[in-house]
Amino acid sequence: DKGPETAQQTVEKKVVHKIKLAETWPPNFPIFGDATKSLKAMVETMSEGRLEITIDAQNKHKAPLGIFDMVKAGQYDMGHSASYYWKGKDPNTLFFTSMPFGMTAPEQYAWFYYGGGMELMAKVYDKHGLLSFPGGNTSNQMGGWFQKEINSLDDLQGLKMRIPGFAGEVFAKVGAKPTNIPAGELYTALERRTIDALEWVGPSLDLRMGFHKIAPYYYTGWHEPATELQFLINKRKWDQLPADLQEILRVAMRAVAYDMYAHSYHLSAENWATIQNDYPNIKIKTFPQEVLDAMRKANDELLAERAANDPLAKEIIDSQAAYLAKARAWTNISDKAYLNSVGN
Amino acid sequence: MVGIIMFFVALLLLLLGFPVAFTFGGVALVFGVFAEGWDLFAFMPFRIFNIMQNVVLMAVPLFIFMGIVLQKTQLAEQLLESMARLFGTMRGGLAVSTILVGALLAASTGVVGASVVAMGVISLPVMLKYGYNRSLASGSICGAGTLGQIIPPSIILIILGDVLGLPVGDLFQAAVIPGVALVGLYVVYVLVYAYARPESAPAVPFEDDEAGRMRHYVSALKAIIPPLLLIVVVLGSIFAGIATPTESSALGGVGAVLLSVLYRKFSWSMLYESALETVKVTAMVFAILLGATAFSMTFTYTGGDLLVEEFLLQLPGEKWGFLIFSMLIILILGFFIDFVEISFIVVPILAPIAEALGISMLWFAILIAMNLQTSFLTPPFGFSLFYLKGVAPPQVSTLDIYRGVLPFILMQVSIVVSILVFPQLFGLD
Amino acid sequence: MTHRLVRAERLFNRFSDGIGVFSAVLLLLLVLNVFYDVVMRYLFNDVSIGMQELEWHLFSMVFLFGVAYTLKADGHVRVDVIYERLSVKRRAVIDILGTVLFIWPFCFLVAYYGIGFAYEAYDISEMSGDPGGLPYRWIIKGMISLSFICVLISSIGFILRAVNEYFGLQQAHQYETFKP
Ligand code: NA
Ligand code: NA
Repeated sequence: DKGPETAQQTVEKKVVHKIKLAETWPPNFPIFGDATKSLKAMVETMSEGRLEITIDAQNKHKAPLGIFDMVKAGQYDMGHSASYYWKGKDPNTLFFTSMPFGMTAPEQYAWFYYGGGMELMAKVYDKHGLLSFPGGNTSNQMGGWFQKEINSLDDLQGLKMRIPGFAGEVFAKVGAKPTNIPAGELYTALERRTIDALEWVGPSLDLRMGFHKIAPYYYTGWHEPATELQFLINKRKWDQLPADLQEILRVAMRAVAYDMYAHSYHLSAENWATIQNDYPNIKIKTFPQEVLDAMRKANDELLAERAANDPLAKEIIDSQAAYLAKARAWTNISDKAYLNSVGN
Repeated sequence: MVGIIMFFVALLLLLLGFPVAFTFGGVALVFGVFAEGWDLFAFMPFRIFNIMQNVVLMAVPLFIFMGIVLQKTQLAEQLLESMARLFGTMRGGLAVSTILVGALLAASTGVVGASVVAMGVISLPVMLKYGYNRSLASGSICGAGTLGQIIPPSIILIILGDVLGLPVGDLFQAAVIPGVALVGLYVVYVLVYAYARPESAPAVPFEDDEAGRMRHYVSALKAIIPPLLLIVVVLGSIFAGIATPTESSALGGVGAVLLSVLYRKFSWSMLYESALETVKVTAMVFAILLGATAFSMTFTYTGGDLLVEEFLLQLPGEKWGFLIFSMLIILILGFFIDFVEISFIVVPILAPIAEALGISMLWFAILIAMNLQTSFLTPPFGFSLFYLKGVAPPQVSTLDIYRGVLPFILMQVSIVVSILVFPQLFGLD
Repeated sequence: MTHRLVRAERLFNRFSDGIGVFSAVLLLLLVLNVFYDVVMRYLFNDVSIGMQELEWHLFSMVFLFGVAYTLKADGHVRVDVIYERLSVKRRAVIDILGTVLFIWPFCFLVAYYGIGFAYEAYDISEMSGDPGGLPYRWIIKGMISLSFICVLISSIGFILRAVNEYFGLQQAHQYETFKP
């Protein structure tokens, strides 16, 4: 018998907490935008209306890459974005989205939740007064659309490619030329060969950009094996929430993240089927071993530089490397062995 | 509700004649602070920074610079006059030339501010000099300048592609015939108008004898080639993959300066004055964008977007009723809110209904793009009107411009209707 | 002898003209910057993200600072349906009220919130996230506040002109923007 509720408890239950969430994406953006919508629905149902979320998309706040600052300042309570967007603000935010030659989505989720990833992410975001949680995975991203075939390291020399961030640094180190092109002009730039290549996401989002109509080669991925989006929360706001609402939010974020992974996988599979059926001329390629080896070497050197300059970076890099080694051994003998043996 | 009241207050205050940009900003501030508090303005630096990083908008200063250099060195005048002389005694040649040059510029930028202002600088003084009716001159420039939005590359089409999930390339391709049809209609209109009202669009005079005519055509062609070549080079640099559309406008600026050297019209003071003039006109355009972003901030944060959404849920659910109503709604909203907001707020609501009704999305997208183009021309908030007014000599009044664009708005609407009724004529069935 | 209000107006106008020259120089640099980047990429297959970022740094400073100069040059577009029929005094009143009610609070608020915006970038040493991109993001972010302060200063000249015209201390200006 729980006994009658105290007046205090009754009042506590009736208080409605409101969270203003800003997302990097335009409104109704497929997959990513569905994730925030389902977070809102889930949280409001589970809390019986005590926790309300309003979602402002890019068209409203007009600051797709201002999410970090706006949540930090408390202009929004929460954000949906991607951690590596903030690497110019804090270099260590880079590691919590996806790293070249890094973990796959299941491996990375295991690292986040059971391998110390969450604790390291908290360490990075704590000094900004922010909490960060996994926000949904796009699964393995494709290596991009190329106008010419890459047969050797020589073919990469001077190759102009739109490839932002750390992967761009790796690319630059092996002789390519990462190039900034505004998103609105990407299509024209690739079509007219102002640039030779670009990377976007994968079948789920590339098809609607129409790149398959203008570039013959579609390369498999190496640089973002498991792009994880991010929920950002202002710490002061989080601390104001009662414990049960915190838990509801935490559980909902985790469910939504995993659900977005499934959703991405599903839509990628569907779009991949479309590509195979409707555009049989697209040539699917994987970079030759020589190129991959060079990029891996460049990647390791860049990581070593970062580790040498910053103890926290070293801690994260070491943690990811150690976990990858352990998890990959299991992946190899389980999923990889299975895929190899069943042969389809 | 705040948003709606704000619109009408802004409308009234604009009439007082205080600069448009600051009226937008000031009204947004009063309503925003009243409804949401001071801190609403903490979003402004983010919005401004977003405009600062929008490199596509770089085409605005760069194109204006090209236009002003061409204008200051009289090369623009020479181009338009010579083009007009090719029309011989036929009237309206200058306006037709303006429309054709505008169409060429439109094919190398998708930013309306860039093409309207550049065309205003290049061709308005020339048309006025030859005694053109002020309304006809302003209308052709606004009409031609706004073509940038439908003739690819185009920002509207890129955004619509994003919102509707259509490949940008398909949209660009599909927009070509409707865009060319619109240019054709403009030209026919100007010729008919000039025929009916000779005094409003006089022909550019030349010696009218056999020998003179031949000489005249040859010299006209000679004069056209260099400046026209410059514009073709700007376009060509995009097609050849040398430059992105935005970058091509810088090639145009450098090209214009080189031409001035070639024609011995270069001087450092010309360059300096052109740069200063460009700064003034560019700031005029961007001040409006800055004021407007404050305005749309207050509109959306006080629930204006929700109001629009609710309103849209009352659309009829049958194909023709839906199409007609959605076109009307976009047209009406276009009087008040800008095309980006419409694309992001309205289109996502319409799209699933259209899809469920089995409407071709490509067709639907072109209809919307054509329709949104009109929003640049419709008073009171049509940005093309402000931009042209900003570069027009004082004798051209706001009312001249309003009167001048009216037929062009009607032509755009009639093209929307034709695409609606005869999609096969535009390759959209 | 020139009235001291007129002299004060001229002083502020000189400031605004200086800002105009500054922006004009930035504009020419922008044209060269973009041209250079195109030539380097197309002819020499060389791309510098830093130079590409410099483009929007220059571009944004051109229009941000241009606003102050354009205010002095009376280049900000007006709807003249009624304005053109008003007397000089009434126009002056509109300009005075508009400056006090619209320009000042707007510029003040943007400049004020812009400081925190730029300070945040300074505090965490924000830089470009792309390879070879530019460091010191606080500088360009700080331009928001700085340019709006310039508009505030320029607007004092703008309001002084209206005051001087109202009291007939100097001849009314032609409100026009572009002399072909
Ligand atoms: Na265009
Ligand atoms: Na409008």
